[in-house]
Amino acid sequence: MTGLLIKNAYVIDPLNGIRGEVMDIAVRDGWIVESVQDGAEVIDAKGCLTLPGGIDSHTHICGTKVNFGRYMMPEDMRAGRTQRRGVMHSTSGYSVPTTYGNSYRYCAMGYTSVLEGAMAPLEARHTHEEFAATPLQDTMANTLFDGNWPVMEAVRDHDVKRAAAIVAWTLAAVKGFAIKLTNPGGSECWGWGKNVKCIRETVPYFEVSPAEIIEILVRANELLRLPHSVHLHCNNLGVPGNYQCTIGSMDLAPDLNPDRQSLYLTHVQFHAYGGTSWKDICSKAEPVACAVNQRPQITIDMGQMMFGKTTTMTADGPMEFNLYRLHHNKWSNHDVELETTAGIIPVYYSRTSVVNCVMWAIGLELALMVRNPWQCLLATDNPNGGPFIKYPEIIALLMSRRYREEELQNLAPGTMSRITLPALDRELDWHDIAVMTRAGQARALGIRSIGKGHLGPGAEADIAIYPLRVDETDPSRQYRDVIRAFQKTSWTVKRGRPVARDGEILVPGTNKTIWVKPKVPEEYDMGKDPEFARNFDRYYTVRMSNYPVQDLYLQRSLCMESEAQL
Amino acid sequence: MIVRDVICPFCACLCDDLDVHVEEGRVTGVDNACDLGSHKFMTDHRMEGPVRRTASGWQDIPLEEAIRETAELLQAAERPLLYGWSGTCGEAQSAGVHLAERVGGIIDATTSVCHGPSILAIQEVGHPGCTLGQVKNRADVVVYWGCNPQHAHPRHLSRYTTYTDGFFVKNAFKERRLILADIRGTDSTNVADEVVRLQPGGDYAVLGALRAIVRGKGDVVPPEVAGVSREQLFRIADLCKKARYGAFFFGMGLTQTAGKYKNIRNAIELVDELNRHTKWTLTPMRGHFNVYGFNEVCTWMTGYPYAVDFSRGMAFYNPGETTAVDILARKECDMCLVVASDPAAHFPAEAVEHLASIPVVQLDPFPNLTTAFARIQIPVAVSGIDAEGTAYRMDGVPLRLRKVLDRGYPDDVTILSEIARRIGEGGGA
Amino acid sequence: MILNTGRTIPQGNSVEFKPSPEYGAETSRAFLAPLDLMDMGIEAGDRVRIRCGSRSAVLTASASDDVLPGSLFVPYGPHANHVVPAATHGTGMPDFKGIAVEVEPTSDPVRSVWDLMEDLGGKRYDR
Repeated sequence: MTGLLIKNAYVIDPLNGIRGEVMDIAVRDGWIVESVQDGAEVIDAKGCLTLPGGIDSHTHICGTKVNFGRYMMPEDMRAGRTQRRGVMHSTSGYSVPTTYGNSYRYCAMGYTSVLEGAMAPLEARHTHEEFAATPLQDTMANTLFDGNWPVMEAVRDHDVKRAAAIVAWTLAAVKGFAIKLTNPGGSECWGWGKNVKCIRETVPYFEVSPAEIIEILVRANELLRLPHSVHLHCNNLGVPGNYQCTIGSMDLAPDLNPDRQSLYLTHVQFHAYGGTSWKDICSKAEPVACAVNQRPQITIDMGQMMFGKTTTMTADGPMEFNLYRLHHNKWSNHDVELETTAGIIPVYYSRTSVVNCVMWAIGLELALMVRNPWQCLLATDNPNGGPFIKYPEIIALLMSRRYREEELQNLAPGTMSRITLPALDRELDWHDIAVMTRAGQARALGIRSIGKGHLGPGAEADIAIYPLRVDETDPSRQYRDVIRAFQKTSWTVKRGRPVARDGEILVPGTNKTIWVKPKVPEEYDMGKDPEFARNFDRYYTVRMSNYPVQDLYLQRSLCMESEAQL
Repeated sequence: MIVRDVICPFCACLCDDLDVHVEEGRVTGVDNACDLGSHKFMTDHRMEGPVRRTASGWQDIPLEEAIRETAELLQAAERPLLYGWSGTCGEAQSAGVHLAERVGGIIDATTSVCHGPSILAIQEVGHPGCTLGQVKNRADVVVYWGCNPQHAHPRHLSRYTTYTDGFFVKNAFKERRLILADIRGTDSTNVADEVVRLQPGGDYAVLGALRAIVRGKGDVVPPEVAGVSREQLFRIADLCKKARYGAFFFGMGLTQTAGKYKNIRNAIELVDELNRHTKWTLTPMRGHFNVYGFNEVCTWMTGYPYAVDFSRGMAFYNPGETTAVDILARKECDMCLVVASDPAAHFPAEAVEHLASIPVVQLDPFPNLTTAFARIQIPVAVSGIDAEGTAYRMDGVPLRLRKVLDRGYPDDVTILSEIARRIGEGGGA
Repeated sequence: MILNTGRTIPQGNSVEFKPSPEYGAETSRAFLAPLDLMDMGIEAGDRVRIRCGSRSAVLTASASDDVLPGSLFVPYGPHANHVVPAATHGTGMPDFKGIAVEVEPTSDPVRSVWDLMEDLGGKRYDR
């Protein structure tokens, strides 16, 4: 491969302390280097904003429940169709696009790495099949352990090392990336149509509490030296008054890792509600943001909600059933033996609903009140809070008080007394946005070491050039220009190759999947543990030998090995 | 040689505990499989090589020529139909969808004459489902409605329900109650604790009556509904509400009778209703081993589970219009590529007739009734026996089919990719 | 009478090799209530012709207590499909169950599956 030279780029590269300077970026063989020889392909960035490729640290784009969302909603498919054109396949879907739809649209926005937020280990092969059809991003999969029987048994026995060993075996077997806990303990309860309300309740039969599951797995995670921390979807999502549960969950994680957080709380907007019912729901973003500000070991993502039509899909099965009872729309549920659950319903977030307006405000409040942008990342829990194509609008809302004020005019009467957003003057700057959409994600996910999220020599050449001159744009006033710029890059470069220009996809692409394999001592190899194997073959409906995902499912495979301290 | 933990490529139970004995390139025995599965492994009536039908009879042709001619036929067609897909692996299905997109054709699977109506119902009201291990480990009440698992899915009861103990169901045969609803007596109704023998076409009414009772509106139920007594309906509703965990399975008895998807919708809404009282899940008894796989693959690629028409360059879906039986009966397609299925045996005669008037190419290991209409047939490896690949169980669990022997046949993926490559070279379409 | 079609073990066993005599025999069986056989004055093993609109097929009658009087069950396959109408009522799914048909005794022979295919314009594969 000959090199690539990006000239006159206005670079913001937070991980390398570059806060905005015009420079050239040299690329060779897919990596950023000090220089390339003459003859390299040249892209003139013309002084436009140039950032590391975007990273989404929590999105739902591939796997069983995502595909079920498409399957059950032809109306959503019809709402976003494009024809086959050039190297692009036809696409369908608005809130849950087809894999190619997701890939092209993320690519046009400059996103080059994404983490699927929830993969059931038993159905991991499905997620990897869809990853393979998501050609323009590198992908990672959060792996669900919230209702894992062997893990819960280890937690009951307070056996951190055994819990770690089970996690290690499973992650390597299913080629997962990180530990995901969705409503920990609640999924097992949902197997009986029940739920846990907060972290101190007990899961029937297994006699463990969500708090114990979280505490043990946070420690197990560090014993395994995994790149990412435990990724937590707190208990009690979407319930008025749940903010205390959220803060209580933060208290379960000591500061164990100097390089990143010890606990990642996802889509916190859905977990920062005050009040006692839908009638008196109000924002508790302030105490939640304060709690984050006081705890460097915590990182959150916003889980911003945006008005309009979307689909909710989560491993929080009981929550989805409650939503169904509210909306009386169609409801799907999918419980996975010994592991987890999932639910899906379509929703419409309306400006005429006070509840929805409060939700909208909370996400923004969190991002504006968490002082350190490295601790609050930008995401919508796509598509739960809204489809990812809304990210540019969120960026603009965070950068422009004027835009927020305009939007506040349109909210349902009765909203203002329940939110603090109108009082917040803060306007985020370009650097904050670069942190919240790429550098912060790379740090939180622990993938800086493999060259993600920055533009220094040694970085993988994933680069987004936006049609925007920072020196000529006042985001506070020209927020519409900001939105337009972030919707469509001038160039998206992936692995050193231009893959999109002005939103047009240039190459078919090949997916790369990043996964982890903690190396454990022989006595902690669950593949050789007789009790584990016996129970596996007895209670699962697939044989243990048919469970692991074969290497051939990964078109390009990047395995991050670690030396577990067991 | 014994290959262990082999996945059975017959029905969508995808039993994965078969031990297959292989000697000198032949399967000599199969342990753990049901009758249907064993037969599939042991049967050996494969077509030897590609054939072409001529005026004077069947003629052997080189593979190369068969592929070239197929590519030409697909490219020349205005409105090709690519049908079948349930008996092959996901990788071949994916190649098929790409091919359909490339030639602007219609792609449909056996789903449309199987659980297509279930999908239509799910698209109206959703699907409260689970993996089969949830049922095995938890269910104390199991309903089979309009299906005969003993014949169509012979190990379903012994692997997932009545005859298998689970974590929370230590003595399944005693602890699980089995309810069978059917219009006729079968080997399945014979083992049930409670048999609902309804009149043909009465499913919608009986399901509706059960919903009413579960909702507390039982007073509207007349003394008899479609042959089922009010007393039995109340007894069953009570059993369902008192279950710790209930599992509802259903088959063609609901999808193929009058009412079609409305029957399924009623069943789903009954299960939704029961979830307000206790835990219930519902699972369609998918037939072919990888019919669900086609729906999954087609959905992530096109947004729709089956019946996708690419003639507009984008995916267009309208069952009843873009489904295979309708396309054939309207004599709309001018070429048909059949992969891993046998429409001539399974479609109404009126639809089959059209196959005689258009070029048909079939990829199938065996001569079947569609062979009678094929201009060309290319015998391929059998997925799960001499070709590997991905298959999705009826509950969505994806498994990797094994290749237990090599017979020298090319697999579907190879042939389809080669056809696509030739069409790509020729440009156009 | 009401025609229902469905899967059976023998049909499934031979489904991968449809030219076999077993497949032809199994899919051309008509299961009827004993009372209905008596009414028609025939015995198990005799043949019946089923007719729906302009299409008809000849089947071998079997007695079965499991079939409701007034209905008949035929294993899923080309014989039953010879009379099943193609209309799907906008669902993609023809009526494979609950089809109103006329049933009468006949001395005509049961046709082979290849005969049926040739009736429809196909050509038997006889190698």
